[in-house]
Amino acid sequence: MTSKRRRFVALVSVVAALALVVTGCGAKTDGGSTDGGSTKATEVVIGIGAPLSDGAVALGQGMVRGTNLAVKQANESQELKDLGLTITTVEGDDKGDPTTGGNVATQFTSNPNLVGVMGHLNSGVTRVAVKIYNQGNVVQVSPANTAVDLTQMGMANYFRVCATDDVQGPAAADFAFKTAGKKVAFVVDDATVYGTGLADEWAKQFEANGGKVAGREKTTDKDTDFKALVTLIKSSGAEIVYYGGIYNSAALLSKQMKEGGVKVPLMGGDGIYDPEYIKLAGAANATGDYCSSIGLPIDMLPNGQDFQAAFEAAYPGEAIAAYDAYSYDAANTIIKAIVAVAKDMGADKLTTTDGKKAIIAAVAKTDFEGVSGQVSFDAKGDTNNKAITIYQVGADGKWAPAAK
Amino acid sequence: MSLSYLLEQTLNGITLGGLYALVALGYTLVYGILLMINFAHSELFMLGGYVGLGVLKLLSDPAVAEATGLGFLEPIQTFFLSGTFGFVMLIAVTFAVSAVVVGILGMFIERFAYRPLRHAPRLAPLISAIGVSIFLQNAVLLWIDSKQLPYTRADGSAFVQAQTAFNVGGVEVSTMQIFIIATSLILLALLDTFVSKTRIGRAMRATSQDREAAGLMGVDINSVIALAFFIGPALGAIAGVFNGMYYGSVKFNMGFIPGIKSFTAAVIGGIGNLRGAMLGGFLLGIVESLASGFVSNAYRDVIAFIVLILVLIFRPGGLLGEAVAEKV
Amino acid sequence: MENTATANKPINGPKAATRKKWLLYAALAAVLIIVPVVFQAATGLGFLVRILVVVGIWVLLALGLNIVVGYAGLLDLGYIAFYAMGAYAGVLLGQSVSDVLGGATYWAMLVPAAIAGAVTGLALGFPVLRLRGDYLAIVTLGFGEIVRICLNNNIFGLTNGANGLPQGSDQLIPPFGAIWLQDNVRFETPIGQFVFSQNLFWYFIVVALCIGAIIIIKRLDDSRLGRAWVAMRENEVAAAACGVNIMTQKLWAFSLGALSGGVAGITFAYVQQFISPESFTFMESVFVVCIIVLGGMGSIPGVIVGALLIRGIPDLIQGLAVAGVLKLPGEAISMITGYRFLVFGLLMVVMMAVRPQGFIPSSRRARELNPDDDGILADEDQSLWDLEHREQSSAHNP
Repeated sequence: MTSKRRRFVALVSVVAALALVVTGCGAKTDGGSTDGGSTKATEVVIGIGAPLSDGAVALGQGMVRGTNLAVKQANESQELKDLGLTITTVEGDDKGDPTTGGNVATQFTSNPNLVGVMGHLNSGVTRVAVKIYNQGNVVQVSPANTAVDLTQMGMANYFRVCATDDVQGPAAADFAFKTAGKKVAFVVDDATVYGTGLADEWAKQFEANGGKVAGREKTTDKDTDFKALVTLIKSSGAEIVYYGGIYNSAALLSKQMKEGGVKVPLMGGDGIYDPEYIKLAGAANATGDYCSSIGLPIDMLPNGQDFQAAFEAAYPGEAIAAYDAYSYDAANTIIKAIVAVAKDMGADKLTTTDGKKAIIAAVAKTDFEGVSGQVSFDAKGDTNNKAITIYQVGADGKWAPAAK
Repeated sequence: MSLSYLLEQTLNGITLGGLYALVALGYTLVYGILLMINFAHSELFMLGGYVGLGVLKLLSDPAVAEATGLGFLEPIQTFFLSGTFGFVMLIAVTFAVSAVVVGILGMFIERFAYRPLRHAPRLAPLISAIGVSIFLQNAVLLWIDSKQLPYTRADGSAFVQAQTAFNVGGVEVSTMQIFIIATSLILLALLDTFVSKTRIGRAMRATSQDREAAGLMGVDINSVIALAFFIGPALGAIAGVFNGMYYGSVKFNMGFIPGIKSFTAAVIGGIGNLRGAMLGGFLLGIVESLASGFVSNAYRDVIAFIVLILVLIFRPGGLLGEAVAEKV
Repeated sequence: MENTATANKPINGPKAATRKKWLLYAALAAVLIIVPVVFQAATGLGFLVRILVVVGIWVLLALGLNIVVGYAGLLDLGYIAFYAMGAYAGVLLGQSVSDVLGGATYWAMLVPAAIAGAVTGLALGFPVLRLRGDYLAIVTLGFGEIVRICLNNNIFGLTNGANGLPQGSDQLIPPFGAIWLQDNVRFETPIGQFVFSQNLFWYFIVVALCIGAIIIIKRLDDSRLGRAWVAMRENEVAAAACGVNIMTQKLWAFSLGALSGGVAGITFAYVQQFISPESFTFMESVFVVCIIVLGGMGSIPGVIVGALLIRGIPDLIQGLAVAGVLKLPGEAISMITGYRFLVFGLLMVVMMAVRPQGFIPSSRRARELNPDDDGILADEDQSLWDLEHREQSSAHNP
């Protein structure tokens, strides 16, 4: 019995010792890389915060690809070599979950060489993480957060290169009312941050144009049964259905609508701009459906061709996902700020508190021609690039820019 | 809101109820005999959908024959794709294979996850069942696909063109709806007859009344329990295939909510009672459909769960009472 | 453990036993204080403190559910609802009074959050606790979903839907001292700069809450209530016959568990500075149940180790890999995340078959779970509900 006690005490001490050893190792490896700073090239780190093992993994992997491509090109440039500067990246897997995102953010800020974060995908994760970055004076540039009020949190270190819901929703509503001539709409969303935000903005603008919103309902992003909803839509006499959410549920809603005799188009945001949408709904059902997407089609942009060529060279056989290009631009935003500060203050000052603050200030002054268009920010940190393209499923079963 | 709207929503509800009823039969059968909630039943429903999709693709998707390079598939597919007889056979084979495969899996789960716990406290098999449920969901997620899969051939065409609606006095009815409602009613009638009229059925009723006494009277308890674990999941699998055809997709987590609702249906009707499960299924389907059509689509699940809590508070034995069919 | 200690006393003499006990506590306290301080000081490892905070909140949650599942023997599959109630009630109320209370808001809100949890527990428990155990599991599951869906749909315009709380530029004010310590306590150590971060501050609060909960639970376990729970868990019918009011005892367990969930909820909200319905899903409830089942039902050390293993280890491995301490390929980390639940599911099945008492069992519970005689068990397993309704249901029949 006493031996049981003794064993417990021993266990406790072993755990403590282990913790110390782990700590020692960690400190040593970190120390090793900073010690040689004055003679060798200065190394700074950009964190990539993205869902990599859970949540929207396909999009998260795209964020890693885009960032790594930008960093690789930067490291090969003469500019960085002249400054004696190398940039590395570190991936933080936020799993699309705010709590895990908070852990990742704490980890990023506890790395002294980390000067900027390219991420996160989910607005909920950003809400937690951005405050932690703010305390650590680390700049965050998101390629994908569309929730409007993120830039109203008063976080000076937060920027995003994508247009928000209040740009995308109204643009799509204008198209539906003015170009497509739809006067009565039924608005549905999936009760997520993304879906609700988009649907609210769309409905507001559609009504402001003089259109009538005949019904407003919510489902969930896991729902597959829309039969009752379809019957309700049918009785409302809607000429168009707007769905705020992602392609899974939207496709099934479109399918069940068409099968249930509601032969009107469904319209959605960039969440349904995906070939999977057409596959799930069936090409016959999806034909005529609309979606809006941020920015212009990649091949219509001056830098689009170069990006595509570089992407194919770096990742042969992989397809460009929704946020690869935005992540590339977001990473370049941070890289350009790092270079500007390094020129101004010297590369060795980058990782000091003043250096990190200077990087935030430099990001605010960003102005360059990116893949997604001109990258520059307003006073709140939102992008000034507000181009929206409307796509439609054509008879060939593919998304194509809609006729104006 | 017109009368035809009310009728159409009710019809939506009855169809949904038919699916609930099929799944609820599985819960009630197992509960009646073992007094345990087979929490993994919802995952068997989900697997039914997946097996059905696989069989349909194998037997009638030319793209699969091409991709797998299995030459012998082509003549088989030609048979199933030609004419009405081929089509009826395709549907029949799909349901049969899915039911048998999932039924055997159900027996397998009983043998390895529940049987060792038959003499443990009641909490143990329930926790084990939750474990099986989590395991199966993640197995499908990891080893089959994490994405939602369309219930169509590779070219996007539906296996069953039965969604086409026709008009009955202003109410749109689809052949699929009739198919689901009719099948669930027929299967209940068959099961009811089986349990009340046959020798094995009598053994099942005896086991549910008093397991030990039935054993002493020469009933092979293990076979009876295994049989319940075959029939229940098989019915669940049929519902899973219907679910895929009717709503148009399968996903690894599709079983959770219908599973809970079907259990609710079984409780509403009186758990252990076959006819009760059927009644509960249809009632819950109608309540849910009307709730979403007249109150709010967002709160349909909330309303369904509130119905469950209310029934348990005011009539804990269910509407038809518990296990009337078994306890003669 | 407490049982072995009492058995020991006559052999070792009370004095020696007490001394050993205090030595043990001192060793534990040293570890609890030194480890996070070292982590915080070491360059690049400060994030481990935050992981410890999150794990600590889960320990608190698991301790609470352990009262319900481990002590009273009631399976609650919607426990996360009480966690959510505590978090939302605390944040909503806290925001309306934070202008007056300032840094005291968190402390003041512990009470309403606990009450919100407990009252919800009572309100749910009162109608459903008279049901038999497995119905209870489903009803609580349904209740958990009801709460989450209502929060997600912005019920009464209070919860801000999926966007979560606090809204826009609103902030939750950190408790007194947290900011001061962060700004003023910092010094260089051989392994890096030590800053008394807010995470470290929260670590000590969470540890204090856990210790408080453990003391209360231990006292309860030895009290009249605790003995009633044992009696009820082992044989409900016999306990009722001996004059234990089953309903009251169950309500106590249920609401005490819920209360603890509420406290964990408000703490979580203030640590994270943000809450949204996605943190309160059914899977989180399953997580807590896993912790208890694998750790050991009714065993406090079991529950703590369970939370460390299930909630802490995956995050820890991932974190150390990113920090470069552990050299792991990216695929290995994805594997850990991906296969986590598959393994938990399998473990639950295997554990029930071979070691139902958990990794670190409570000795009393282990004996109950591995009885020698099946006949006794059949009697023990009968619930009052069965007895009462057997008559009724046969009365239904012609």
